[in-house]
Amino acid sequence: MSQTTPSAFEPATKTVSPLSLRRVMVIASSSVTQLVRMKTFYFLLAFAAIIVVLMSLNPPTTPAGVLSTIKRISFGTMDVFAWLFAIVSTALLIPKDIEDRTLYTILSKPVRRIEYLIGKLLGVLWVIAVSLLVMYGVCALALWSRETLYIAEELEAMNADARYSAENVGAQIALIEQQGLRPELGIAVLASFLKAAVVASVTIFLSTFASSSLFSIIISVLVFIIGHAHTMATSFWLYQTDNSLFVQLLLKVVKIFIPNFQLYSFSHGIIQGEAVAYSLVWQMTGLTGVYLVVFLFLSLLVFIDKEF
Amino acid sequence: MSDLAVKVKNMTKVFSKGLKKSDYVVAVDNLSFEIKPGEVYGLIGPNGSGKSTTMKVVLGLMSPTKGDVKVFGYDSGDIRARNEIGFLPENPYFYKHLTGKETLKFYGKLCGFRGRELKDRIAELLELVDLESAANRRLGGYSKGMLQRIGLAQALIQRPRLVILDEPTAGVDPLGSRQIRDLILKLKDDGITVFLCSHLLEQVQEVCDQVGIIFEGRMRREGPLEELIQIEEQTAMTFSGAKPELLAKVRELIEADAGATIVEEGHPKTTLERLFVSLSHATATEEKEDEK
Repeated sequence: MSQTTPSAFEPATKTVSPLSLRRVMVIASSSVTQLVRMKTFYFLLAFAAIIVVLMSLNPPTTPAGVLSTIKRISFGTMDVFAWLFAIVSTALLIPKDIEDRTLYTILSKPVRRIEYLIGKLLGVLWVIAVSLLVMYGVCALALWSRETLYIAEELEAMNADARYSAENVGAQIALIEQQGLRPELGIAVLASFLKAAVVASVTIFLSTFASSSLFSIIISVLVFIIGHAHTMATSFWLYQTDNSLFVQLLLKVVKIFIPNFQLYSFSHGIIQGEAVAYSLVWQMTGLTGVYLVVFLFLSLLVFIDKEF
Repeated sequence: MSDLAVKVKNMTKVFSKGLKKSDYVVAVDNLSFEIKPGEVYGLIGPNGSGKSTTMKVVLGLMSPTKGDVKVFGYDSGDIRARNEIGFLPENPYFYKHLTGKETLKFYGKLCGFRGRELKDRIAELLELVDLESAANRRLGGYSKGMLQRIGLAQALIQRPRLVILDEPTAGVDPLGSRQIRDLILKLKDDGITVFLCSHLLEQVQEVCDQVGIIFEGRMRREGPLEELIQIEEQTAMTFSGAKPELLAKVRELIEADAGATIVEEGHPKTTLERLFVSLSHATATEEKEDEK
């Protein structure tokens, strides 16, 4: 072992700040590195392959139909990726740290447990956000290139045919543009991200007391599925009075404790070319924030006194 | 500010085993000990004796069921206490996907280091633990000894006043073990308090000032090492260059005394570890000379 100057050992009495955003970001960026080095971004290659296959298909349908198919499949893939990745990566990160006992060395440093939890969640969300942006970029490029091509082809064909008036041409172009690349599609990506954020916060809560990653994954998927039946549960709760006590209790549990993932399905309309009210987007973002705070708070309640 | 580095007072830790109230295990039972600043304290005991539980409570990873645990006057669960502690776990628990340098950067940042200060600190510690050449390799490819050394570097990253070492040389070869021992002595020289948990008794004997022997969660013996290991009614003398005639005279003198007997006589022995280390050094020196 080599010699060193005495300064290597000089004690330094640093002050410890209360809840530190810096420490949160250190843990978040470490989680990003961990997920990246776990080669999770390979999923993006699979997504790119799906887009390439979609682009090479030439189904016997209208240009608007082709664009709609590209959108539906690619946004569907993005959505599945976002929530599935949120569940699996969140369920892996914390139990892995506990199992590998990396948590010992992290929590023996001046790190608060809430900082650790928020850091892990932010790390997962960071990777999801980047992945969604990349996927959206690829999808947007594919849509734009097809849309431009179709518009040019339609214009050429309709202008050459005397039967079509300028109004007919305009209507046809508008139809293609409605199914093409529109700014509103960004909101559909945001909806997928918000939904993934909520499901990640649910999984992080489950991870704080689950005995294995598999348990967290299974329960999170169940919560996610049940969360899509929220409206059904609510209507049963409100309008059915002859349910058994068990059913009534179950419905109340669903209503109170399970996030309503159905609310995020407004993105389906956007993908089909419908308009969206921006107030709804703000409401959804706000609601997501509430879900995150509630589930992080519940996670902290369990995690703060957890012994390792 | 407390004048003690660690103060454990009447600490009891009970783990429940099941849902029944009667289903529990007492891991540590009314344990008390103190570690003064600058001291090397060794807590020894067999597996399952409560060493790790005690250490985890001092680290704030667990809270005691009863009693008080203070680190430099702060409650062990207080984040300010953890700022004073550097911890080297038995099996280095670090992210295998990070390199040695990235590991130190991660822990350094957690402790509030930034920029040039962090960079210099990392370089200083990598040099200290002799891992400069492996700084950019991922920990997944490190040997046990290298992991232990990078673990020690991360334990020292925030310049802690107390270093807790859990079986620091477990699974490390004799040379690595000697390096870690030297480092502990260096820490001691520099006034850092060391709390060492081990069942490698020879190592504890070499570095510790104070020793506590824990068994089934209770402190059985505690005190300065020299006091604990000396046999009061016996005296040892080691001669060098003594001729047989002189030894015969000494024997005669002892036999002439009614109350004294020779319990043991022979050549003092080195330890296998010392023999191994000296041979390794000799071989290395020969190789260097051959290269010249």
